[in-house]
Amino acid sequence: MCSSQSRGSERRWTEVNMTQGESMAVSEFLARAKLIKQGAEARVYRVEFLGRPTIVKERFPKRYRHPSLDDKLTHRRTVQEVRSILRCRRAGISAPVVYFVDYTSHCIFLEEIVGSLTVRDHIISIQQSNSCKMLQLDQLAEKVGQILAKMHDEDVIHGDLTTSNMLLRQGMQSDLKAFLSTHPNTEVLFEKLLKSYAASSKKSSAVIKKLDEVRLRGRKRSMVG
Amino acid sequence: SSNDFFSPQTFHSSMHVTQKLELFPDHRLTQMLFKEVKNAAELRQSAMSGKINGALINPTMLVDPFQTLVAANKAVSLQKTGKMKTRSLYSEIIFNLSPTNNISEAFKRFGISDDNDSVLVALVHSEDESQLLTDIAAMVTGQQVPVEDISSLTDQEKIKKLYKITAQEEKCGTLLDAVVCRMATKDVM
Ligand SMILES: Nc1ncnc2c1ncn2[C@@H]1O[C@H](COP(=O)(O)OP(=O)(O)O)[C@@H](O)[C@H]1O
Ligand SMILES: [Mg+2]
Repeated sequence: MCSSQSRGSERRWTEVNMTQGESMAVSEFLARAKLIKQGAEARVYRVEFLGRPTIVKERFPKRYRHPSLDDKLTHRRTVQEVRSILRCRRAGISAPVVYFVDYTSHCIFLEEIVGSLTVRDHIISIQQSNSCKMLQLDQLAEKVGQILAKMHDEDVIHGDLTTSNMLLRQGMQSDLKAFLSTHPNTEVLFEKLLKSYAASSKKSSAVIKKLDEVRLRGRKRSMVG
Repeated sequence: SSNDFFSPQTFHSSMHVTQKLELFPDHRLTQMLFKEVKNAAELRQSAMSGKINGALINPTMLVDPFQTLVAANKAVSLQKTGKMKTRSLYSEIIFNLSPTNNISEAFKRFGISDDNDSVLVALVHSEDESQLLTDIAAMVTGQQVPVEDISSLTDQEKIKKLYKITAQEEKCGTLLDAVVCRMATKDVM
């Protein structure tokens, strides 16, 4: 549409120079941002971006890996996360909106689910309260089961399904195993979750069979250790 | 209110909207909306020849000015890393609005056509450039209206079809959410 005369070597120089400039722009921006979580693979920041409350997830280099391999793997992880988010949304699971992805600094800029609570924190607070505990937990387990079934029907594999990775609003993401291990006495609840999963899923039988295998292994180990 | 004029984030005059691109502190995006436009063909020519240094967008394909802001941020970012897919910042903004990687289709859908009777002008600039805005507004034979009026021009059905928004997806968020998410993820889908 708009004309732009190529300025030959001058332009090329500018681009090379700008590559560094841009990385600096993102890192300068994040240097001023509020870090909310430092994980093993990524740092999570809370910022204002394009005028909106935004979460930035920055996958940082792992120094023990060869730089070019590291960059490739980090890029792949970023792409996988972006794809999963869109596939979830298409399936009607309200994963956060992606605003921008910077594949140079491996940053994903996401809608902040304002006022959200991780399922983990929610369970802890339910367990500490004294009213309608079982009812609330039942409803939660049922909801998680439904969402998981929906995700798996769309072949979205979360990869790190833990209660810290599910946010409560209307939508959640989420780990079956972690659900068992991090919260004591959740066996009954877990059965509820599975029932709900089976009722919602189009292909639950294979998944539940696999899970039974995993749990059996878990029991054996705990009997030994 | 007078407070709006001193908001560090967004400058709203009665008509245009200027917003910061936080990643690029010396860049701003200004959007202006015109209705009852009589000289779309001439404007398109001026943009192609470089006389208008801005993106001329078909407003019926926009749900909200936020869409342009998302497209502009990505365009500036790719310009700075030398990774634009088109020849200029302004064509890149139009390309970024489209859900596909087909450049000519992006122009057909999101650029203005000679028979358009409305146009959204998007400008990326460094500081308050009131002269630039006045100059461009003077080239448009039409009526400038507040940018927020864009929703009255939006062709929702066409947008849903073009971005392939599913019914399920509409249940978990707004149409704007769905559109912006497609724009931001199109490189890897
Ligand atoms: N879109 C979001 N809105 C609100 N909080 C979020 C959002 N994304 C992440 N968080 C918060 O940050 C934490 C870590 O995010 P997560 O994506 O799980 O990173 P990691 O992969 O490092 O665990 C979450 O448990 C949640 O508390
Ligand atoms: Mg996590």
